[in-house]
Amino acid sequence: MRNVLSVMILAVAVVAASSFPRNARSVAAAPQQSSAVFDSVGNLKLPTGFRSWVQVGTPLTPNGLNNGEAGFPEFHNVYIEKKNVDVYLKTGSFPEGTVIVKELTRVLTPTFPDGSRMEPSGRGYFNGEYNGIDETVKDSKRFADTNGWGFFTFGHHPLPYEKTSAEEPVADCAGCHIGVAKTDMTWVQFYPLLRDKKGY
Amino acid sequence: MQKYLLGIVAGVGVLAACSFLFNTGPVVAQTQQYPVYDSAGGVKTPTGYRAWVFVGAPLTPEGLNDGKYNCDQPGGCTRSNFPEYHHVYIEKKNVDAYLKTGSFPEGTVIVKELTRVLKPTFPDSSRTEPSGRGYFNGEFNGIDMSVKDSKRFAATNGWGFFTFGHHALPYNPTAAESPVTDCAGCHIANVANTDMTWIQFYPQLRDKQAY
Repeated sequence: MRNVLSVMILAVAVVAASSFPRNARSVAAAPQQSSAVFDSVGNLKLPTGFRSWVQVGTPLTPNGLNNGEAGFPEFHNVYIEKKNVDVYLKTGSFPEGTVIVKELTRVLTPTFPDGSRMEPSGRGYFNGEYNGIDETVKDSKRFADTNGWGFFTFGHHPLPYEKTSAEEPVADCAGCHIGVAKTDMTWVQFYPLLRDKKGY
Repeated sequence: MQKYLLGIVAGVGVLAACSFLFNTGPVVAQTQQYPVYDSAGGVKTPTGYRAWVFVGAPLTPEGLNDGKYNCDQPGGCTRSNFPEYHHVYIEKKNVDAYLKTGSFPEGTVIVKELTRVLKPTFPDSSRTEPSGRGYFNGEFNGIDMSVKDSKRFAATNGWGFFTFGHHALPYNPTAAESPVTDCAGCHIANVANTDMTWIQFYPQLRDKQAY
């Protein structure tokens, strides 16, 4: 009987040991760890690595359709870390610490007044040079005044971008995003992956 | 003794069950096996690509094109050959290799997923949103895919071309290699010098910017 007991204890230990690595992995992926890094005066540092995050959508507001000066010139490539997309797809809201990066690119050498050009695939718009970054960070305490999200910009111009950004005034970013307060301050309606919930 | 043996058997069983669970994750995440060809040389629809590295999004809206394409598709004829956004995805390991060497490794898969534009209100297919007048991603609308395999696709500069339809979900579950005139011909004519790929439209590859 004692032998049987010790074997049972061993079996339980095996279960515990086996589930430990699984848990360790999910802890490593915990969304509490934000990629947002703030400096000593509270400015956000320029994000890195975001071009390998999940792209959720690419709005395009060409200068040619916006009196020569679009507010966001011109392609908006929007990136979110996979762990945070996963949570959104499950729960419908983003975890604390989520970072959303919108990197602009110009359109490639326009030949029509609307900013488009002809290529073998047809007439349209093609990604030109990188042209700046806007970023939002979810932190319900730090950004309690603006529905839990802070808004930052590292410039709307070619590389190199600004190295740090102070939080933007409400009138510049958050004020407009209040219009999408019901979808966690994010323009989910433009991001098929989040909007249509089809997975990867 | 019999009970003792029974305990061991149970213990081993639990161990086996646990390691099965533990291994499931990494095995599922592996993509090296893709694509697998069936006896007719066809491949299955790719999966997981929306989490790969996004390299660019050409856009050829219906409103700016005046052709007659895709007439065999469930949605009927379109004015654009590739309606309308083309989101292009490549696995990170293969982007890494390209950034280092200027060409893609054998086995590289490039997925181009189309989306329509969101509810057009102007003749050029654009609409106005708080961020300005322009184009926004509508529904998913099909997949084209290229695969680098210098032996299998020797006749088309080492790349095979496939399409899973230019239409809304669900996509075709498998694809045979597309005829040269449908895909490879244009890639050979225009981008043979950049590994059969439209690098000029993909800032990260074109401008060699890291992540």
